[in-house]
Amino acid sequence: MKLGTVRPIPIAVGLAFVATVIALVSTSTSREGVALCVALDVAIACGAVLSLPRFKSSHPVVFRAALTLLGLDVALFVTYYFPSSTNFNLSTGAAMSIVLLGLSFLTGASGQISLGNGAFMGVGAFVMAIWANHHTTTPIVITLLIAVACGALVGLLLGLPATRLRGPYLAGMTLAFAVAFTFILATFSSWTGGDSGLQLPTAVTAPRWLDGFFAAGTPPLKTTTLYLTDFTILVAGVAFFFMANLFASRTGRSMRLIRDNDVAAELVGVSLPRTRVVAFIVSSAYAALGGALLTLIDNSVSPPTYSFALSVTILSLIVIGGIGTISGALIGGVIYAFSTNVISWITTQTGLNPQGNLASQLNGIIFGGLLIVTMIFAPFGISGAVRHLWHRLRARSPG
Amino acid sequence: MDPFLTSRIVTDVLGGLTNGVTYGLVALSLVLIWRSTGILNFAQGAMPMFATYVGFALLSYHFGYWPCVVACVIAAVLIGGLTERLLVRRLYGKPEINPIVVMVGFLIVLEAVAAAIWSSTPRSLPSPFSLIHWQLAGRPFALSPFTVYEIATALVVMLAVAMLFRFTNLGLQLRASALAPEVSRLLGVRVGRLLTLGWMLSTAVGVITTILVSANFFSGLTPTVMDGIFAYGFIAAAIGGLESPVGAVVAGVLLGVVNQFVTDFVNQNAVIIIALAILVVSLMVRPSGVFTKSTQRRV
Amino acid sequence: MITIDDLTVSFGAVQALRHVSFVAETGHITAVLGANGAGKTTLLRTISGLKEPKTGTIRLGDQSLMHMRTEDIARLGIGHVPEGRGVIGEFTVEENLRLGAMMAKVNLAQGLQAQYELFPVLGERRKQHAAKLSGGERQMLAMARALIANPSVLLLDEPSLGLAPLVTAQLMHTIQSLCETSDLTVILVEQNATSALRIAHHAVVLHVGEVVANDTASLVAADENLRQYYLGLVE
Repeated sequence: MKLGTVRPIPIAVGLAFVATVIALVSTSTSREGVALCVALDVAIACGAVLSLPRFKSSHPVVFRAALTLLGLDVALFVTYYFPSSTNFNLSTGAAMSIVLLGLSFLTGASGQISLGNGAFMGVGAFVMAIWANHHTTTPIVITLLIAVACGALVGLLLGLPATRLRGPYLAGMTLAFAVAFTFILATFSSWTGGDSGLQLPTAVTAPRWLDGFFAAGTPPLKTTTLYLTDFTILVAGVAFFFMANLFASRTGRSMRLIRDNDVAAELVGVSLPRTRVVAFIVSSAYAALGGALLTLIDNSVSPPTYSFALSVTILSLIVIGGIGTISGALIGGVIYAFSTNVISWITTQTGLNPQGNLASQLNGIIFGGLLIVTMIFAPFGISGAVRHLWHRLRARSPG
Repeated sequence: MDPFLTSRIVTDVLGGLTNGVTYGLVALSLVLIWRSTGILNFAQGAMPMFATYVGFALLSYHFGYWPCVVACVIAAVLIGGLTERLLVRRLYGKPEINPIVVMVGFLIVLEAVAAAIWSSTPRSLPSPFSLIHWQLAGRPFALSPFTVYEIATALVVMLAVAMLFRFTNLGLQLRASALAPEVSRLLGVRVGRLLTLGWMLSTAVGVITTILVSANFFSGLTPTVMDGIFAYGFIAAAIGGLESPVGAVVAGVLLGVVNQFVTDFVNQNAVIIIALAILVVSLMVRPSGVFTKSTQRRV
Repeated sequence: MITIDDLTVSFGAVQALRHVSFVAETGHITAVLGANGAGKTTLLRTISGLKEPKTGTIRLGDQSLMHMRTEDIARLGIGHVPEGRGVIGEFTVEENLRLGAMMAKVNLAQGLQAQYELFPVLGERRKQHAAKLSGGERQMLAMARALIANPSVLLLDEPSLGLAPLVTAQLMHTIQSLCETSDLTVILVEQNATSALRIAHHAVVLHVGEVVANDTASLVAADENLRQYYLGLVE
């Protein structure tokens, strides 16, 4: 029986029925059962949609939605079983991946470079904290949107002069912004809390209904961490979904046209300055979103975090992951999530003194070194290397 | 006019000049490299910093100031040459983003390695001239023997570079390699070697700047000592136009003076913010620099 | 003497030169003719080492020029006046000439003197920036710059391009007398076949990268087919 003749829908329905039964039978609490049931059924439904032949080309948006939904489904499912520390790292990674997505879009899709996305993160992070401190009743989602809007606004302010600049000038200007940001924070220290930064007025706690999933005696921190992690992952999923659609849209295509050939773009009628500014705004909005989420996760924000070094880290991560790709942002986020762990593992394995000079500089040496090596030998990052490999394998096999 | 204000202005101008010449030197190095290789060297501050550490590591062997300076220059020439040969060579002809990213990465690595080897604790370098400001009518004057030495050295270096380019055969070849590399090769000019030489020269100029700066700022030599200077040097080069050495130097000196005034009349934090604002405005008005002739624009 | 043997040059999938072979005799002017895109400029650039051929060899006398760097080939005495002249506008006339003299161990003053005698206009304008020169003056400067190094071979890429007929005639006359007074080997790439054939001893006609004629200049000039199809000299 050839695969093409298999009908996905009836199989999916059948699987769903089986899954529901298994879920209800195997779990102890009804809440858990319902949760497992939902998780499995959603996964099966998405899988069915994704396996429909030629669905990707005929209904691209729905396809991406299904893919995102599947990813979220799996992610939300597994985070339940992870320890808090892992979830904490994952949430940080998810927030960072949103930032990386913005920068990936800017550099890859429109060919511009920014060395200041750490500062844009800071904008979002501080706006979130400042607003929360002054307007304690605003729902979190609204505050997030406000932070994103502020990030977009700053992006507009910097993006306007940026349209007329070429690579090195633009890089230098964003670098100057990144450096200046620290001083801007210091100038307005009454708002930004000076050296120690700000705390969120009310710590984010998990909603009540989540408690029912856990066994009695589970510390609230675990549920809160899980809640924040899931929340961040959800937001990331939405962000990725939007970005995927943006990449494929007319705007995305005109940006790639600019990246590859200014003159051709102008001839086709793409407005160069406007498209460049839009790319800048999107990238800074995404960065601000990531920063605001980090504030939520850490429950605080402090100026030293948002230094020039952060901008460089962001750049390294997306270069390693793969500029101009969505998967690159994901890879970069994962690397960031576990980089502290990996580095401390390296420190212990090589027997370095953790308080010593070398250990404290390991972060910079590794990231800076990877940046150089990747850019010279694999400028399209891990994502690009995998894609390259995939094409070579497919070219090998006949038909 | 209020005499106190006058002396304040004079102090600011002189103090600004002192910083300004260092910005001018960095801007000059950036322009040199940009014109010869089309690369903006983000590690322009970090490379000489590393050379300075290497050179002054000899201090522990009881060498004096001037031998150490010589050692620093030698180290700088080596670092500049090796960087061009090993790193920069692979970047010619690549998309604009690649060299920027690589040089930023190089900057980070250099600073991290320097901190790993020598720690981030500031080291005070010995100074051949007194750092204490002179007194004028009982009040501290803007200048000290050291600042005069600093300004004089910077001017001498700039003059030397200018003379090298204008009057020597080597300078002619360097200029030709930057303006028309292919034609130069057809005329037998060893363009590759000259590019390496350009980087060596640029790093050597940088190391002199670093040595001056490290003694001046009382905080001494740290891995990040050149960060601020690089930022202002870049801003000056960008405002003056990456194609114009004279423009870069002039912009650097002016920027130094402006910064001094801002520090004095506003506050320390505002300096970079205002410099950034000047950069943005200048680039909006003249995107390829104030001093760039329109025919020369290499965008 | 330059010997080209079975030269094939490609740009990716496109073959610019295919199995090109000919000899440029010492002391002779060899004209390389053909329409646009025939591969003439590619030929000169390959001789100068700016392009690596896929197959074939190029020899200066007995010495192979393969895998040599451009600047080293130039230093062997192969002067190349490129397409568009390559005059450095930001330099003065004299600086351009100084640059040309640098690789050869020539006495600069004598070299300058000789070139100013050959091209008096350059002498008059020696301190002017090259960007201010007219087309014909720039061509003279480019040639003087190549000649000041006393080359044994001169590669000229379309020297008459954009020049008035009178200036072109003077230029060709100069090239001819240079060749007669010294042992200079000249490879003259031209689209203006008539004026080139008048002074050349030998002619090679290229068509889409291949040699379609390789004969004495007078024979090539007289051939009706060649004139019409390859040289565009339709009556």
